[in-house]
Amino acid sequence: MPNDSDLADASAQGASRPWPIPRLLGTGTLGALAILVLSFPFLTDTGYLLSTGVFILNYALMATGWNFVGGFTGYISLGHAAYWGLGAYATAIMITRLDMPWYLALVTSAAAVAVIAVPVGIAALRVRGASFVIVTIAFVMILLLVFQSWAGVTGGSSGLMVPRAFDVLRTQHHQIFFYLYAAALALTLLVWWAIDRSRFGMGLKAIREDEDKARALGVPTYASKLVVFVLSAFFTGLAGGLYALWFGDLDPVFQFSILMGAYMVLMALLGGIRELFGPVLGALVVGVSVEYFKSEFGDTQFHLVATGLLLALVVLFMPEGLIPWLRGLFQRFGPRASSIREVSAGELAEQVEREHAVDEPGSRS
Amino acid sequence: MASESPPNLLELDRIEAGYGHAALVLRGLTITVPRSTIVCLVGPNGAGKSTVLKVASGMLHPRGGTVRLDGHDVTRHGPQQRLRAGLAHVLQGHSVFPEMTVGENVRLGAYTVPDRATVATRVQFVQHLFPVVSEQWDVLAGLLSGGQQKQVEFARSLMIDPKVVLLDEPSMGLDPKATATVFEQIERMRDTGTAVLLVEQNARRALQTADIGCVLDLGRVHMSGPAPELLDDPELSQLYLGGHVAG
Repeated sequence: MPNDSDLADASAQGASRPWPIPRLLGTGTLGALAILVLSFPFLTDTGYLLSTGVFILNYALMATGWNFVGGFTGYISLGHAAYWGLGAYATAIMITRLDMPWYLALVTSAAAVAVIAVPVGIAALRVRGASFVIVTIAFVMILLLVFQSWAGVTGGSSGLMVPRAFDVLRTQHHQIFFYLYAAALALTLLVWWAIDRSRFGMGLKAIREDEDKARALGVPTYASKLVVFVLSAFFTGLAGGLYALWFGDLDPVFQFSILMGAYMVLMALLGGIRELFGPVLGALVVGVSVEYFKSEFGDTQFHLVATGLLLALVVLFMPEGLIPWLRGLFQRFGPRASSIREVSAGELAEQVEREHAVDEPGSRS
Repeated sequence: MASESPPNLLELDRIEAGYGHAALVLRGLTITVPRSTIVCLVGPNGAGKSTVLKVASGMLHPRGGTVRLDGHDVTRHGPQQRLRAGLAHVLQGHSVFPEMTVGENVRLGAYTVPDRATVATRVQFVQHLFPVVSEQWDVLAGLLSGGQQKQVEFARSLMIDPKVVLLDEPSMGLDPKATATVFEQIERMRDTGTAVLLVEQNARRALQTADIGCVLDLGRVHMSGPAPELLDDPELSQLYLGGHVAG
């Protein structure tokens, strides 16, 4: 985790950093990956691959949105499809019924989802653990019933068609949405990164570890959880709105499915919920695997079994997620920092000397 | 030191407290903690030592009596309000966040301090006071030894520049060397101007460090006075310190 720069002097004392790769190399890799992602629409000429790319970006945006709650506070929401579905339907309804321009509908609907998330969060965040999971599932189930039944507004079970925002060819349509999704993802990652570095984020991580202790230190736990919950709903709703504009056809069973919520959890866990890019990497792996399993096993439900197997493997062998696991591999081959408990007799003598010297001010190196 | 009798920082005045509907644990207990002083509570198990700290920090509201912090009545204030007023509580056992770095743990202590410059100054202060904090700044707190974790907790409690620190069994589970370090650190906290209210099983060691000792029994202060005098008291030694005075 990056530290605040104002304390860099304090941390530059040779203590073993959790991330030993020089920052420059990290930035370079990040830049190269970003260029690779942005040039993807030009590297492929098939509509199928391009649409898969858009879908993976949708996954990445959803999972990163989910990770505002899951990653920072450790509260596992299985019903986050609710915000994705709400964002999608709100965008569609604003365009079809209110004749709003697409960009206005997109932003307004994401904001509306955030507003809806306030009372939901107030209710759901009172409980922890399994109870919280159940409340989130209940909410998405309620929404599914509402959107299936309220045919006058939502189109009911037959779904809702969204007119195309751009009058272009199919491939160009995919290209436009590839970049729209990429921009939304970049914004979401930026906000997550900023929180991760902030005092607010530190309080959230304390909540993740021990909520009662965090409160004892003066962290306003309830308000902090609510803020990230609403932010999470906003970005997940944004993903839903983009999906409505891109795919153009909404079906309540797909939009408000537990499975989609479970995918968000799977992707974030797979990559690593404590990592900025964890959910993105998870989305890449899950997206590619789901497409592969679908093409391999056809239109059966077998891709679900295969995805379940993937989750089981992750939980068994890399419970912290792919990124921490890869980092562990990297460190194994790098220079090994000795355990901090291993101290030789000479070092111990030096340490005792230093402890005695510390009474005199200014003796610290 | 205490003979100058500066105004008391923390006063527990005729406190009556207990849990639920059960009998009272504290029955009219009065304790005062003067500035820059270590007050140590000793007594048998069940005497109410930890309850005193809970009442002082606001985790338990007393049924009777008054709690005053620096002259202000804080009896009805919760833990967060008292924290802001300059009272820090270091809980029994390990209370670091193991999956966060030492630095993050320490900075969490200043969560209620909005000014970055103040926080940076306090960071430098506690790093100077606790070398282990600056040495292990980027290490996950869960990887430290018990004694080191205790020092991180001390450092964290000092981040708000508290007037009073409550320490509940700081030497619990520590080996003799780590215990010695922890008590040295407590003295150093006192020397930098913080008053300390200390509860300790290791009564003899605690009284050697403390300025004032209070012997608790059955929810009241049975005996109190300068710590060295209590250490030399043969009756006290026999009853509460587990045998005769060494040497």
